Amino acid sequence: MPTLANMSLQFGSDVSSLLNIVWLLSFFVFIVYGQRIQVYIVGNDISRALNRLKLMKDKSRKEAVDYFLSTGKTSADPAVKIDEFLEYVTIMPVDLDPQGIVGKIEHITETRDDRVRSEVKKMLPNAEPIKVSVAENILEIASSLNMIHKIVRHYYLLGKKTNSYILLVQLQMIMPQVLMEADALINAVDTFKLGQPVGDGIGPIIASKYMVNLPKQVVAKDTVMSVTEYKGRTLYVLKAEGPMGYVGEPGLAIQRVIEEMNVPLNAIIMVDAALKLEGEKTGDVAEGIGAAIGGIGTDKFRIEEVSAKHKVPVYAILVKQSILEAITVMRKDITDASDRVHTLIANLIEEKTKEGDKVLLAGIGNSLGVGQ
Amino acid sequence: MSTAPAPQPPQQQTQQGKAKFNVYTIEECPACGQKTKRSFQVGDYITKDGANCSKCGNVTKITLIYAEPVVKSK
Ligand SMILES: [Zn+2]
Repeated sequence: MPTLANMSLQFGSDVSSLLNIVWLLSFFVFIVYGQRIQVYIVGNDISRALNRLKLMKDKSRKEAVDYFLSTGKTSADPAVKIDEFLEYVTIMPVDLDPQGIVGKIEHITETRDDRVRSEVKKMLPNAEPIKVSVAENILEIASSLNMIHKIVRHYYLLGKKTNSYILLVQLQMIMPQVLMEADALINAVDTFKLGQPVGDGIGPIIASKYMVNLPKQVVAKDTVMSVTEYKGRTLYVLKAEGPMGYVGEPGLAIQRVIEEMNVPLNAIIMVDAALKLEGEKTGDVAEGIGAAIGGIGTDKFRIEEVSAKHKVPVYAILVKQSILEAITVMRKDITDASDRVHTLIANLIEEKTKEGDKVLLAGIGNSLGVGQ
Repeated sequence: MSTAPAPQPPQQQTQQGKAKFNVYTIEECPACGQKTKRSFQVGDYITKDGANCSKCGNVTKITLIYAEPVVKSK
């Protein structure tokens, strides 16, 4: 019969076999609980990022409230109204039968924008249009940050609740990009508050060069146009009305020029900021064909429709920048591209059209701090 | 076109992530082309009338507003 002493001899009482047991045990622990440990680590990672998002969200909300308080005599406490704004939902139309959906989307976004503007005007009854537009932009930033925070929190809590490793890891993988975008948004608040042109304003800056001292007409909501002459061609130049932070409705404007004002255009040139790829230089200029315009897609749709119907070639000139640069104060690297853009415009007009032709030049982007 | 040494009022720095920026306004005289670079002031916008030209006295126009990274001087 083995004694206790024998047994301990059998199992080994020295340090190395003890380590062996620990090693084996940890092996089992990792096999059985490995995923839970990873869920814990990944969860911690996300919760830190979530905290940062929350700070940014709160800061943008506070900035919005402060802007309203400092800008005008608001009738009531703006915080209540702003919180309402942040939770504002836009319900997109059903896309089971996509025929005609662009018109519906346009109608919905227009209604929303009108509603926001009228509410802001009501809260800032005596403010100039530029301040109202800035307030609109800041509110939009705050509500974007609010939405980002909400969605990330939703997936984080869902992942924790269901102990879903896959869900959490996916969230962790996209977090750096989400944070980068949120960072750009929060940095944009300062630029908007001061009414400085943003990187996205390069299109309007280019267009405004052709419009200075000329009469302007409003061709669509927040969109103005001037008619000038360039080397024997009639040049129709349009941009969002500055120096307010508007983007206007260039799609509708171009459609009206062609179909309502019956201008037989021979070419459309669009200048816009474009997101650069990592590794590309800020201020690089790219040329191309097609409607150079971002947003939800309604303007792009209109321009493509009307240009295809009337066989008007659409030329694009893009100025590369990052998302941060596009919504924060205009960098010198971007304005340095102006000369190149003007040369390209001149070349396009000279090469693709002849004297007597009619050319439309559209400066696409937010025209904050850019008059005309 | 020449760039005159512009009087530099106390600069307003804009923090952007890790980088710091100074924002400048460029005023250009439509008559003689004289360009003046000064710090951005709230209310400035491109195409707004600027100060009188230091060379010929014409009213200048703001032609550009941009940010440059702060260079640590000396
Ligand atoms: Zn002068």
